[in-house]
Amino acid sequence: MAAAGGKTYSFKVVLLGEGCVGKTSLVLRYCENKFNDKHITTLQASFLTKKLNITGKRVNLAIWDTAGQERFHALGPIYYRDSNGALLVYDVTDEDSFQKVKNWVKELRKMLGNEICLCIVGNKIDLEKDRHVSVEEAEGYAESVGAKHYHTSAKLNKGIEELFLDLCKRTLFLNAVYTVSLSVFHNTTGFMINQNCVFQSATWHCSFTHKQLIMFSVVL
Amino acid sequence: MSQRSERRGIHVDQSELLCKKGCGYYGNAAWQGLCSKCWREEYQKARQRQIQEDWALAEKLQREEEAAYVSSHSSSQTQPPQSQSQQSLATFSKFEEKKTNEKTRKVTTVKKFFSPSSRTAPKKVPPEKESEKEEKLQGRRESHGENLLRDLKGIFTQPWEMASPTEESHEGKTPSPSITRQSSIETDRVSRDFVEFLKTLQKLGRDIHKQSRGFIESMGNKNDLSAEELSECVQDFYQGMSDRLMNHFKGSSEKVDRVMDQVEKYIMTRLYKSVFCPETSDDEKKDLATQHRIRALHWVTIQMLCVPVDEEIPEVSDSVVKAITDIIEMDSKRVPRDKLACITSCSKHIFNAIRITKNEPASADDFLPTLIYIVLKANPPRLQSNIQYITRFCNPSRLMTGEDGYYFTNLCCAVAFIEKLDAQSLNLSPEDFEHYMSGQASPRQQDDPAAWPQSGSRVNPALSQIHHNLKLLSNLEKRQQEVTEGAQNLQTELSEWQDSVAREVQEILERYPLEIKPRASAIDAENVENDRLPPPLQPQVFAG
Repeated sequence: MAAAGGKTYSFKVVLLGEGCVGKTSLVLRYCENKFNDKHITTLQASFLTKKLNITGKRVNLAIWDTAGQERFHALGPIYYRDSNGALLVYDVTDEDSFQKVKNWVKELRKMLGNEICLCIVGNKIDLEKDRHVSVEEAEGYAESVGAKHYHTSAKLNKGIEELFLDLCKRTLFLNAVYTVSLSVFHNTTGFMINQNCVFQSATWHCSFTHKQLIMFSVVL
Repeated sequence: MSQRSERRGIHVDQSELLCKKGCGYYGNAAWQGLCSKCWREEYQKARQRQIQEDWALAEKLQREEEAAYVSSHSSSQTQPPQSQSQQSLATFSKFEEKKTNEKTRKVTTVKKFFSPSSRTAPKKVPPEKESEKEEKLQGRRESHGENLLRDLKGIFTQPWEMASPTEESHEGKTPSPSITRQSSIETDRVSRDFVEFLKTLQKLGRDIHKQSRGFIESMGNKNDLSAEELSECVQDFYQGMSDRLMNHFKGSSEKVDRVMDQVEKYIMTRLYKSVFCPETSDDEKKDLATQHRIRALHWVTIQMLCVPVDEEIPEVSDSVVKAITDIIEMDSKRVPRDKLACITSCSKHIFNAIRITKNEPASADDFLPTLIYIVLKANPPRLQSNIQYITRFCNPSRLMTGEDGYYFTNLCCAVAFIEKLDAQSLNLSPEDFEHYMSGQASPRQQDDPAAWPQSGSRVNPALSQIHHNLKLLSNLEKRQQEVTEGAQNLQTELSEWQDSVAREVQEILERYPLEIKPRASAIDAENVENDRLPPPLQPQVFAG
């Protein structure tokens, strides 16, 4: 891209997950570095923004909290429309909340395809002794749907910074791949197939470094 | 003038109201006597051809026509404005509910009568081949009205706002939209502000002004387009404009946003009347449906929605009232961004209420139910139209990612939830839900009378307030009774005391009857030294 140096990327990330899994704590910890603070000056924790700089690229991250109650589940599409990433949060001590995450993944993949960067987040790892969702199961599932799995604790401020940084990198990469594949495969009959192929690899090989992946996508 | 107005009512008969193409539907003078469907077909054709017209040609035509106008002025004046009368009739009978819309149209009709263009309105419009010519002709004549108006305006506005020659030719070509004539005080003010703002941008500002005006003029022709097509036009314009600005400011998105805000404000203030809740859309029907729906749901309580707001706290109920006011006020704004600002302000008040109640920052889990509750309580006017209007005509960069966009999305969610709301989403049994919806029962009546005070305070803040007041009143009554009783007691005590005193006095009087002894003898008898006293003074009589 020509304006790669000066351009500011704006990414929208939705927080999905059952109520009480700690969505709000997670994002408050990340944006304000606060947890259960009595002197909180923030008026609300449902829409927060964070400015990042990733290898010279400026990113404005807008984090949209969603209502987790079951009765609002049907409103999901209105929230996650046009989002670049989704954080699917579950509580490691709550098997049910993990099931909810699986439902969300199915829905997101169905509605948005592979254009969205999925992060499955097991929160509350400070309660390790009460864990009800095994690490293997969660990570295995994440890999099977082309998502990445993270462990966090909003209380102990563990894994959160890494989570969001990784999310941004992957979103940037997806963005680049999407642009490149558009220019490469545009007007060819194989567009859809190729596009899918690139996206699949994009989501499944997120352990590559950002630079490698960009090169990889250019080669494609 | 008087002659024309007399003829108005008489000249319409049934056949003339029908579509000129004979398809059996009613025609409309605004569509050259065609019905909406035929007109659209015709108009699309005509427009295609018209687009190919050259600008220079239009300019030339205008000069020619200026001369022609002077000569044809007197003869054309006597022609009855048949189509006008039809139009006014049609609008009178149409859509009772669109009262506001109708009002403005009526004003337009009157205005049209006084503008020169109405004098030249053709009696009958040939439907097919001549429509193009007619378009041009009308356009040229229309331009006189425009020029006249502009001259008048020029007296009051700054010279810079006056159109450039190229613009004039542009106006001369396209039939002028009625919106430009409906310049209310507000639009004038906005235009002035816009011009003031653009002055700071110098050459670029002039360019922006020209394009914006041109765009508004061109939008005036597109009344028959569907809402989505109109939206596309506006969005294309935004896109083109912001691309140009991006180039000019070398990628400084902040500056671009600032200019785009002004452009949006100017354009949408001008276009508001024609594109808000357009007749081609079913927005109005949706508005009414939503309004009825919210009215039918009047019984929904804070508890059913699990709203984390305690309206007993005065500060909280204050915020709730403010939030309701803001969301209602949204309807009165014209610019999409201003409407968004109302939603944002409403949301801020909601957050405030939640924070005071829960003493922690509000999450979406708290926010959405509260917003739903506020929407149910407020029943904002023309909610669907407003949402559609914002979606269609707001600058997309603001709507997609910004904070305003988030609150707007939540409002959309709230409306969607209200539309689909059922027993399950309120944790009620289907029977109860049916009963409440049909008005056969009210959630409050089922409460145990004994538990009334407690549940009353949870059910509805107004009711609990009433209850509280009643309790105060009954207390007051009791105390008043006590006071009156006390007063009565005091009164009887007083009268008793009076009686007892009187009795006592009587008794004493009876016991010790008063004996009055002759006074003089008593004194004299006991007085031994009587002799030494001087003789008593005797009254003396003076004569004269």
